[in-house]
Amino acid sequence: MTTAPAPVVPGSVAATAPRPTGPRRRRIRPARVVLSAVAVVVAVVWVFPVYWMVNSSLLPQARLQSREPNFFPTNGSLHNYADVLDGTGFFAALRMSLVVTLSTVALVLVFALLAALAISRFRFRGRKSFVIAMLFIQMLPAEGMFIAQYRMLSDAHLLDRAIGVTILYTAAVVPFTVWMLRGFVAGIPAELEEAGMVDGLSRTQAFLRITFPLLAPGLVAAGVYAFLQAWNEFTIALVALPSDASQTLPLWLRSFLNASVSKGVDWGEVMAASTLIALPVIVFFLLVQGRMTGGLVSGAVKG
Amino acid sequence: MKRNRLVVASVASTITLAMALTACSSGSDAPADDESTSADGTPEPADITLWLAGPDTPDALRDYLTSTFEEENPGSTLTIEQQEWPDLVTSLTTALPDAENTPDVTEIGNTQSPTFTTVGAFRDLTPLYEELGGDALLPSFVEVGMAEGKNYSLPYYFGSRYMFYRKDIWTAAGLEAPTTLSEFSDAVKELHTDSQSGFAIGGQDWRNGISWVFANDGELAVEEDGKWTSTLSDANTIKGLEQWQDVFEGASNVPASAMDVAYWDFLNDGTDGEAPEAATIMAPNWARWSIGDLTTNDDGEEVRDGMVDDSKYDIFGLPGVDGGLAPVFAGGSNIGISAQSQHPELAENLLRIIFSEEYQTMLGENGLGPANSDYVSSLGDDKFAQTMIDTAAVSQLTPAAPGWAAVEGASLYEQLFQAIAEGGDVTEIAAEYDEKITPMLNNG
Amino acid sequence: MSATSTVASDPAADAPDRRREQPPRRRRRPRLPYALLVPAVAVILVAVGYPVYWQVVTSLQEFGLAQQFGAPPTFVGLDNYARLFMDPSLWAVVVRSLLFCLVNAGLTVGIGVALALLMNAVGRVPRLVLQVALLLAWAMPMVAAVTVFKWLFDWRSGVVNWLLVAIGLDQYQGYSWLAQPMTFFLVASLVVVWMSVPFVALSVFAALTQVSDEVLEAAAIDGAGPWQRFWGIILPMVRPVISIVLLLQIIWDLRVFAQIRILQDAGAPIDQTNLLGNYIYELGLGRQDFAGASAVSIFVLLLTVLLSWPYVRSLLKEDEA
Repeated sequence: MTTAPAPVVPGSVAATAPRPTGPRRRRIRPARVVLSAVAVVVAVVWVFPVYWMVNSSLLPQARLQSREPNFFPTNGSLHNYADVLDGTGFFAALRMSLVVTLSTVALVLVFALLAALAISRFRFRGRKSFVIAMLFIQMLPAEGMFIAQYRMLSDAHLLDRAIGVTILYTAAVVPFTVWMLRGFVAGIPAELEEAGMVDGLSRTQAFLRITFPLLAPGLVAAGVYAFLQAWNEFTIALVALPSDASQTLPLWLRSFLNASVSKGVDWGEVMAASTLIALPVIVFFLLVQGRMTGGLVSGAVKG
Repeated sequence: MKRNRLVVASVASTITLAMALTACSSGSDAPADDESTSADGTPEPADITLWLAGPDTPDALRDYLTSTFEEENPGSTLTIEQQEWPDLVTSLTTALPDAENTPDVTEIGNTQSPTFTTVGAFRDLTPLYEELGGDALLPSFVEVGMAEGKNYSLPYYFGSRYMFYRKDIWTAAGLEAPTTLSEFSDAVKELHTDSQSGFAIGGQDWRNGISWVFANDGELAVEEDGKWTSTLSDANTIKGLEQWQDVFEGASNVPASAMDVAYWDFLNDGTDGEAPEAATIMAPNWARWSIGDLTTNDDGEEVRDGMVDDSKYDIFGLPGVDGGLAPVFAGGSNIGISAQSQHPELAENLLRIIFSEEYQTMLGENGLGPANSDYVSSLGDDKFAQTMIDTAAVSQLTPAAPGWAAVEGASLYEQLFQAIAEGGDVTEIAAEYDEKITPMLNNG
Repeated sequence: MSATSTVASDPAADAPDRRREQPPRRRRRPRLPYALLVPAVAVILVAVGYPVYWQVVTSLQEFGLAQQFGAPPTFVGLDNYARLFMDPSLWAVVVRSLLFCLVNAGLTVGIGVALALLMNAVGRVPRLVLQVALLLAWAMPMVAAVTVFKWLFDWRSGVVNWLLVAIGLDQYQGYSWLAQPMTFFLVASLVVVWMSVPFVALSVFAALTQVSDEVLEAAAIDGAGPWQRFWGIILPMVRPVISIVLLLQIIWDLRVFAQIRILQDAGAPIDQTNLLGNYIYELGLGRQDFAGASAVSIFVLLLTVLLSWPYVRSLLKEDEA
């Protein structure tokens, strides 16, 4: 049966809050305490590299590579942040990254949703081939395509323009999101929509008022995925955006990884720059988290 | 070889939803010579682009180039784009053949230059050679920019590398700066302990390691009748590689697989006063600013003081086999005009500014070795500048073979030096790598 | 959800099956589904169509830097493929990549499922702590993540060696993790698993939240132990998610490229640590053998299609059932 539950619902993290908590759950059992401790330890281990990034971003170069690790930024300062923000690049790159990433997310959601509707709500010739193609297209190694991608964009006069990269990113992300969304769409019985139409809604209205809200978790999941892919992508951007003026944040980060005649790589700056790049992602996570409260997964989707 | 007249057969014309994959040439890539010039022979005003690699060229120099260019070429503008070193070959490979998006002038690593020169990526600069400095230009750099006797790229700036050492440690052991290569080996081996490298060098660090080959009059590759052969198995080369192996094994605690390590940290006392990890390192001249005692700069940041205490930190050039200086591998880069440039005359005007006395002097004042040897005095006259000039004067480059960039791209020298550092039989390893490298050298 | 319908009789869950049994209503408008596919297909054709076409053509030519700079390429048929298949290093890379991919995909999904179950089993606060940690890890830029791991395992100033020495394992003083292929891939796997687990854990957790508590409680009342409940109810319900996530993880882990490259920059035995992506990159942009790189790309595509075919088929069958 098709109704694979949502492949990913990172956004629905909070959505689980309102689940009924019976008396069985309230009893504190030793096993539970142990598990909670394990969860916290795992969390600490997992977050440690993130902590190390932030910690290093606060340390001066002279202390970064000393043999005794500096576990706390005791001599820390915001110098590295001041230095990376001082160069002109950051805000221009931030703007470019936002434009490219948000357009990619928007296009991906629309294109993938339409395709997911087609393959999970209709039987038609070529459906299966399409589903398989969506999977296999992800198996193309990207490392061999740069030259062709460059020529294509150059001939179309799309080099250094957000639209060029956006098209490439959208194409790279759509196949997976189609797979992701078809599970969600299939999980919503068409009967709900049909019932709405019986009640006098048009087909479009029924879709927008009934199905669409139920799809929200799936769309958020797909959106998060598209956002992360576009936000962190580097190699396509390198080829498609050769000019300084149009660089995205990962390209901007690259410029700090460069030893030069005048100095070695300043790793404190690299980490400060990385932290700055991670911040918008965290903000984005928080935003979609907020949208997700209210138990959207309840009702029809829930088995 | 025959220089190709730019028939960039690009396929796919435009992005249309139908994605017509019709083959069509991307139109007339205007041959560089027919540039539209106005009646009096001055080039039409236009915007030209200069690619600089990495942040090495300081902002003041960039500003000087833009303002001078725009002053001397009224109506024209200069845009400077920075490319990053690790990505430069990728960007040059895609953009240089593309008439519409090529930079007009570009910096290129000196070891990358022969590869691009031989495929016709650059415009012939032979007519300008004398005017831009002629024989005063660094000969080894000029050579890697040549193909079939013509100049396609010229030196932009040079760097050099020399030895930084802990004078206090050397003195305490009763040692002085060495005068021959074997003295150097003996000294650093003597200074080696489990916690201190006498001479810290990573096994894969071939850009430092090939100095030992050069010092023994060895060659990495030679050209005969237009065909390049890798000559690692040459007796002198073997001798150099074996000496290097001996120094690595006897004096360095750094892993055989390591490269591009921040060696300068090894020379410093730890932040909590721990003993340094090495008595000697080999590094480019700018490493000075990462070495020294901990101090606080104007911004209140903890930094190294740049070797202020000269009884503690000092430098010397790597000595030759029979005294004097050993030839080291020179850092630095070349510069050339793209063959596809639509404004070659403006590009040539830009080169005239770059090779002018004023700009060359500015390079020197910023610690970059000026391409024109008449102006090296601008580097200053302290011991750092002097050692840089002296070592650069005897420096060498990697072979000017068309396939050299491919050898680097395949990381073959990293692997060669690692194998030697791991203690393998040098003769066998050399033969093995000769076999791998020779076929690659001749492919442009 | 198929499991749900056998355990709980929820009418909604059965509905889609009934719909499929009577599809004629949909057949009236056969054009609509195609129209819905147009944007997705178009954007993929535009972005991927030409590069794939270019790769196929280039793989049949002699195409190096000279050709990129305008020299007319010569057609050489399948020479590039023949040349590569004769090269033992390609096969070594293929085997290495497959092993790396399977081990990492397995580990990632295993750990991801374990963490999802853990989140499901603990109270609100520890769950939130773990979720936030996973989200933060997920948000970290790849370059920064790999760089941090590189530092943690640095032979000289790495925290890992420092800790090992601190607990008395002196042989780790200055131990170089990246110097040997085995330990290199240990570090690489740690990075890859660390980066991919959040996606798996959060996906599977989301699926777990859809397992109805009532059903579990009913099963518990009927005497099913925790183990039986896991195998009998929970696992069948989240199985579709796990199989999709596993498939995607396999695809992605086969494409690992930048992580390896950044780790190699610190000094590693390069030819013994290259994976397929690195091999293609080295061949193409490194050695300027664009024809060879194209041939390997095509080969990798065919190979992955071939290898994943049985799995994809079973996945689709499940889908149609």
